[in-house]
Amino acid sequence: MSDMKVYDSDVKMIPVISQVRAIWENRGLLGLLVRRDLTVRYKRSIIGIWWSLLNPLFTTAVMYYVFNTVFKSRLPSGAPFLPYLLSGVLLMAFFNQGLTMGADSVATGAGVLTKVYVRPEIFAASSAISSAINFLIGFIPLTVVLLIAKVHPGINSPLVLVVILCMTLFVTGLALLLSIAYINFDDSRSLISIFLMALQYMTPVFYPISVLGPHTKRIILLNPLTSYLDIFRSVYGGGTTATSHEWVVMIASSIIAFILGFWVFIKKWPGLVGKL
Amino acid sequence: MSQQKIVEVANASMAYRRTRHRVSSLKQTAIDTIRRRMAYEQFFALRDVSFEINRGETVSVIGRNGAGKSTLLKVVARVLPPTSGRVIVQGSVAPMIELGAGFNPELTGAENIMLYGTLLGRTPKEMQGRIEAIADWAGLTSHMDIPIRAYSSGMTARLAFATATDRTPDLLLIDEILSVGDEDFKDKSKARTIEMMNSGCAVLLVTHDLTAVTSMSSRAIYLENGTPKATGKPKQVVDAYLNDVHH
Repeated sequence: MSDMKVYDSDVKMIPVISQVRAIWENRGLLGLLVRRDLTVRYKRSIIGIWWSLLNPLFTTAVMYYVFNTVFKSRLPSGAPFLPYLLSGVLLMAFFNQGLTMGADSVATGAGVLTKVYVRPEIFAASSAISSAINFLIGFIPLTVVLLIAKVHPGINSPLVLVVILCMTLFVTGLALLLSIAYINFDDSRSLISIFLMALQYMTPVFYPISVLGPHTKRIILLNPLTSYLDIFRSVYGGGTTATSHEWVVMIASSIIAFILGFWVFIKKWPGLVGKL
Repeated sequence: MSQQKIVEVANASMAYRRTRHRVSSLKQTAIDTIRRRMAYEQFFALRDVSFEINRGETVSVIGRNGAGKSTLLKVVARVLPPTSGRVIVQGSVAPMIELGAGFNPELTGAENIMLYGTLLGRTPKEMQGRIEAIADWAGLTSHMDIPIRAYSSGMTARLAFATATDRTPDLLLIDEILSVGDEDFKDKSKARTIEMMNSGCAVLLVTHDLTAVTSMSSRAIYLENGTPKATGKPKQVVDAYLNDVHH
């Protein structure tokens, strides 16, 4: 009985450190939750894993038709439009899905979280990780599109892993913040979806930054997602170059969002769990 | 070893701050803030509760609906942190509160055993080795590879019960002694619960079954509006409760 677990309500958790340790100690559960997310989405559907690709591919097809055929948009750099567009859609899907799924799994976790002791942060992390895996699956069509456009992903492509790591941390932190709004206010979801749509347009998914006027450009560059996307495209054949400033924005924003999300969440959670 | 203290609750209180008309939308909050009508009131779900449970003892909690019995279970289960006072629990806890929390209808029986068991604090590796025994005990061996949405509600309850009671914990939290499933399984599940209660672990039992309180517990607590109104020998506590109920 020397390894007996002890719970003492007077021992306070250290923000971020205790939470990250709890996630690490429960990595077995984390793995099962990720598997649950992926299984529920794919295994029981006829087309299986391709289901995850249907949404981004279809979105890309529609946008490609609208912007390439209707508006006759061209990238000034002369780079092919389709890989540019698809990489943007895939990264935004990673962000949107991880954020809303993560916040939902905490906010609707009442069935579990009010009956069994589990740190809710594990749920947010598992949603971010399953979205990252979906994103990786998206590399199959992206690579096909690149090969068709005769673009080589480039020797820097392993740096994609840094983008994925940063985005996972970024999304986990933001999902925890969002879950607080979801639990406190029933009507926050509709506001959030409008905000997410605005964010989508403020990220250069289907237009190049160079076509923007100086004022708009400044606003778009304030959006940290622009840095994630530019870096992603620059390391995986999407036809942009990323500045070192953007690397700093990406890494710093992921660390800040992660720490802030965990910090605020641990302070608010005791008051929230009673509302679930 | 037999006098080992498993649970120690000292002056635990659980206070909620609730708004007068249960605001939960941004719109309502905005309107109320402008009109300055955000009046909060303190509400005590538990107030100044203290008790201990040693290994091998059963402590029963009785009281009317809404007296704070379930809140007390959740505070000991670590789900709700007490707003004041202290709770110390040593060892593993099996909360038998609304069994099957975390069951996913799309996952198979075996996958749900893994997930639920891990949520209850065991390792996936450990659970992997228990699937067969749990399925056998629940009488669902031939149903392990199908999603539980195809199960009847009785089958799901059997699977949840079998998973939750697979291991005898250091502390057992019971919200009513359950008997689930068909007649045979009802007897079996009740017998298993009593076997676990008598296995030497500490038990915190919330129940309306006053006969069970007097026959099975070492001590009892009678809660009214979150406050312990009587504590001590089960017979005396039950009498105090009955006295109040009949008046």
